[in-house]
Amino acid sequence: MHECNAKSVRGVISGVLGGMAAIALGATLFVGEAAAQSSGQRVVIGETYIPTIWVDPDGCEHWVMDDGWEGYMTPHVNRQGIPVCRRGNVCGEMHSDQLFATNSANISASGRKHLAKFFQTTGAISYIITGHTDSRASDPYNLDLSYRRATAVASLAAAHGARIADVRGYGERQPKASNNTAAGMQMNRRVEIICIR
Amino acid sequence: MKFLKLPILLPAVVAVAAWGTKSAKTVDRGIDSKHLGQLQAGIWVDPNGCDHWIIDDGAEGYLSQRLDPYGKPVCSGTAPPNTATGAFKSGSPVPDPI
Repeated sequence: MHECNAKSVRGVISGVLGGMAAIALGATLFVGEAAAQSSGQRVVIGETYIPTIWVDPDGCEHWVMDDGWEGYMTPHVNRQGIPVCRRGNVCGEMHSDQLFATNSANISASGRKHLAKFFQTTGAISYIITGHTDSRASDPYNLDLSYRRATAVASLAAAHGARIADVRGYGERQPKASNNTAAGMQMNRRVEIICIR
Repeated sequence: MKFLKLPILLPAVVAVAAWGTKSAKTVDRGIDSKHLGQLQAGIWVDPNGCDHWIIDDGAEGYLSQRLDPYGKPVCSGTAPPNTATGAFKSGSPVPDPI
C-alpha cells in the first residue's frame, strides 16, 4: 500500500465515524469523545489535504492542491505574512551613505549619476522603492527620513522613464544586520529597489 | 451482532474508497497528468490594479496573489485592470473552450 492510500483510509474512517458508525460504533465514538475531552483535545472530522509547492516566476512559493476537477492555490507566507521565496527580486541596493548626507534626503551628484544609469539600463516593468535606516534617532523620525529618501530615489527613477509601483519608508523596522556594530548600521542604512519583471 | 460484522465490512469500504477517491492532491491525475510544480502562469490584474498569478490547466484553474518580499501586493501596471496576460493557457494540452 502506498502512502496516499493510507491517507485516504484515514479520511474514510472519519467519514465512517460520521455516518454508518453512528449506529455500529456509537458506543465507541462516545467513549472516544469523552476520552478526548478529558485530555483537553477535541475531535475533528476532516479530510487529509496535503498541498505541494509551486514556485512563481518571482521565485516565491505557493501552496497548490488538485482535487480531481478543482484546483486550489494560495501564497505560502509565514505567520508574519512574509512570503516564503527561494530567491529575492531586490535587484538594486544603494547604501544611503553613497546617496545622502546624514539626515538628508537630497541625493548627491554622484548618486544621481549612478541611479540614472541603473534605471536606464535595468528595464524592469516597474519598481518598488523602500527606504531603511539604522536604529539611531527615534522610530517616527526614521520612518519619515526613510520615506523621504525612498521618494527622492523614486522621483529620479520616474524622471528617467521608470514606472514606480510603490514607495515605502520602513525606518529602522526591517534591519538586515545588527545595529550594535558600525558595519551593521551601515548595512541597515539603505534604499532597496525591487524589480518587477 | 453489529460489532461482529464491522471487521468484515470495514476493509471492504476502505478498499472501495481508496480506489474511488483521489488521495494525492499534489498531482494532476487523468488525461494530462503531471506534477503541479510544472504549471505555467500568467498575470491577472484585479480591479485595483494589483497582480495575481493565473493558471489555466485545462479542467483546473488556479489564482494566487503576487506578493513582494514584504508581503504587500504587487501592483506592477503591467496591464490594465481586469486583464489577463501571458501564456497561462499553455500548460495543458487539454482544450478549454472558454
